Amino acid sequence: MKLKVARPTAMSVAGLYKSYRKGKLEVPVLKGVDLSVDEGSFTAIVGQSGSGKSTLLHLMGTLDAPDAGEINYRDQRIDHLPSKQLEKLRNTEFGLIFQFYHLLPELTTLENVLVPRMVQDGFFKYLRNKKQYTQRATELLELVGLTHRLTHKPSELSGGEMQRTAIARSLISNPSILLADEPTGNLDAENGAEVMETLHRLREQENLTLLMVTHDSELANKADNVIHLVNGVVAD
Amino acid sequence: MYKLLLSWRYLKTRFIALASIVSVTLGVATLIVVNSVMAGFVDQMQSRLHGILSDVEVAAPLLGEITYPKEHVAVIRELLGDDVEELTCVVRNPALLSFEFHGRQWTQQVMLMGIDDETFGKVTDFEPYLTNELKRERFSFELEEKGYESKYQPSGWDYRREVAENKKQLAELMQQHQNAYEVAAAAYLEESDPNGAKIKVNGPDGERKVQLRPLPARVPQHSQAIAEDASAKSDSTVHQAATIPNASNLSNEGKTQKVSPFDPHANLRKQVAPEDMFDAAKDQYTGIILGQAISQRKTTNDDGEIVDLYMVRPGDDVQIMFPSVGSRAQPVSDNCTVVDFYSSNMHEYDSTFAFMPLSALQDMRGMIDPLTGDGTVSTIQIKLKEGADLDAARDKLIARFPPSQYPYDIHTWQDTQRPLLSAVSMELTILNILLFLIIAVAGFGILATFFMIVVEKTRDIGILKALGAPSRGVMSIFLGYGMSLGTVGTGAGILLGLLFIRYINQIADLVAYVTGQEVFDPTIYYFSEIPTIVNPLMVVLVAIGAIGIAVLASVLPALRAARLHPVEALRYE
Repeated sequence: MKLKVARPTAMSVAGLYKSYRKGKLEVPVLKGVDLSVDEGSFTAIVGQSGSGKSTLLHLMGTLDAPDAGEINYRDQRIDHLPSKQLEKLRNTEFGLIFQFYHLLPELTTLENVLVPRMVQDGFFKYLRNKKQYTQRATELLELVGLTHRLTHKPSELSGGEMQRTAIARSLISNPSILLADEPTGNLDAENGAEVMETLHRLREQENLTLLMVTHDSELANKADNVIHLVNGVVAD
Repeated sequence: MYKLLLSWRYLKTRFIALASIVSVTLGVATLIVVNSVMAGFVDQMQSRLHGILSDVEVAAPLLGEITYPKEHVAVIRELLGDDVEELTCVVRNPALLSFEFHGRQWTQQVMLMGIDDETFGKVTDFEPYLTNELKRERFSFELEEKGYESKYQPSGWDYRREVAENKKQLAELMQQHQNAYEVAAAAYLEESDPNGAKIKVNGPDGERKVQLRPLPARVPQHSQAIAEDASAKSDSTVHQAATIPNASNLSNEGKTQKVSPFDPHANLRKQVAPEDMFDAAKDQYTGIILGQAISQRKTTNDDGEIVDLYMVRPGDDVQIMFPSVGSRAQPVSDNCTVVDFYSSNMHEYDSTFAFMPLSALQDMRGMIDPLTGDGTVSTIQIKLKEGADLDAARDKLIARFPPSQYPYDIHTWQDTQRPLLSAVSMELTILNILLFLIIAVAGFGILATFFMIVVEKTRDIGILKALGAPSRGVMSIFLGYGMSLGTVGTGAGILLGLLFIRYINQIADLVAYVTGQEVFDPTIYYFSEIPTIVNPLMVVLVAIGAIGIAVLASVLPALRAARLHPVEALRYE
């Protein structure tokens, strides 16, 4: 029995439509999705392959713009903001975690974690704050258990280690919401469990909202709220 | 920050980027080397072209005269004021130069310059190009004892005395033959019948008789009188010998000789005192300085090498011929003694110009007014002060001596050499365009490389965008990358180019050693080493151009990167 506490809404979407073009054919992916995510909650979006759950996450992470409908973040509509504000939002408010980790292969673990901070600050501001940022990044890497891997390149890391680096990266800007797209999808059970364990630990520690796309029902069972997506609509 | 970091990491981890750097490096180095060498050549060429051309010159038409040169000089000095450094008057006219070499008479057309030995050297770069080091220090039209370059040896007074001695011996030898012949002829004529002598000649086909008729009397009236005078002392057979006129005149001047009883000019000869005669071993004619290529021929020596042969050398006598001034020009000719060569290494000048003293040339051409003693000239040459505007000075002079009133051609040295100078500058421009194409090719190399890198980095670009990097930032990663490629390549290119220029002669020697082919044959180009001038502005422009091209080449890939959609980029595998 889960404890239900009235919490303010962190994010909500209403009547979200999105379709992709494949040549001349228009393929509808989302056909009017409504959902809301409470502050500090763990929401899982589950569904079959092709049900549109990744697209929903991309739209909510402002990586893409919806055809129709609205996306609200903390009572502010964000789907039609100018790109500069969207970039800032992605950089400081959202932490993104991907199935394929998406680390930059030329950079070390530590540098990868620092990338959002580098993007955020200008050259001189970054240099001024570098010490502080590096300290925070080292802390985060310690939290995900990668203290011994600071100067390694992603190619020298295992899948689990790469995903834990990605988690550390998503937290460096102190975001308020984590958007994770099948974070364990590419990992074996043991590594996946380890990553999930890290994620939960950090979420509780930092008091973060977590929105996770997964097709693993076992993972979804641990969520406060589970949203089933079937053929582009929320199924009850 | 991420832009710099990623640019740097891409630079460090991509070998393909090295190829782009190398192509930029080579292009920049080539441009710098070629430009510097060309600048060196042009500089050398300009100073040589300028050589004996004064800055500005006021010239009378060919064979014409500028009367009252002193008054002209005064007017010009007043007109140009402080800009004038020095002025000189020159007589310039075409002339025929002839000399004897290996018994043959060679004739050549030259441009004869009558120069004032005081001022001409101050107006033009004449003296530095004289081959005799003594003349370079203290100019005169006197033949020197020494100081001539070894390639012109033998020359100078020693050579002249030797030649005179040889000529004297030859003349004596010929005189001996002549005397012997005359004695034999006289003896024969005494023996034979004056009216149709019969002699026995031993021919190959045995004995035959030859009819020898008396020679017809072709002796001109005055010779006949002399001959008759001479015949008073000898018998009538002398008439026969006298019909070969002037045979003994081959004998040299100034030589004391035994007067032959058969010499028809014996009496005339006696009237000239020997000490007043011209002695080639002691005296010289009017000095003349020839362009060294005038009498130069290429020939092979015993070893099969090509060597220069000088048909005339300092110390030799030459004859010059040219028209006198006036409405009815008469040919004038005189002897001159070559006292030095002029060697500017500009073939055009070296094969054309001959110099002699102004007063001597004026005198020979009849340019001196017998009443006042002042001579006319054909050209007034003006040297302006350093930095003075030549064209402005020329325009002032043209305004003062308008073509409608004065028959003068007023021009600067650059006007004279305009076709050559503009051809060279056009050549340089085209060469630069062609070479810049090399860098443009390097630019396309960068373009291709960058497109590859952008494709390869599509996912990274998606990641950066997902993490909040703006399109501009992504673009500047690739622009910065292009710029760093350009900068590194250009820096290396400048270094390589300057090193190449520094050691260009050693490199030329090395290439000559390896290939056995002289890269830069000094006998053709007249430079002992390759001239180079590095113009800092040129280096800066080349650097800016190369970096600019590298940045331009990276604009397209960078734009493509910036336009990538983050979701599609992330999905890219």
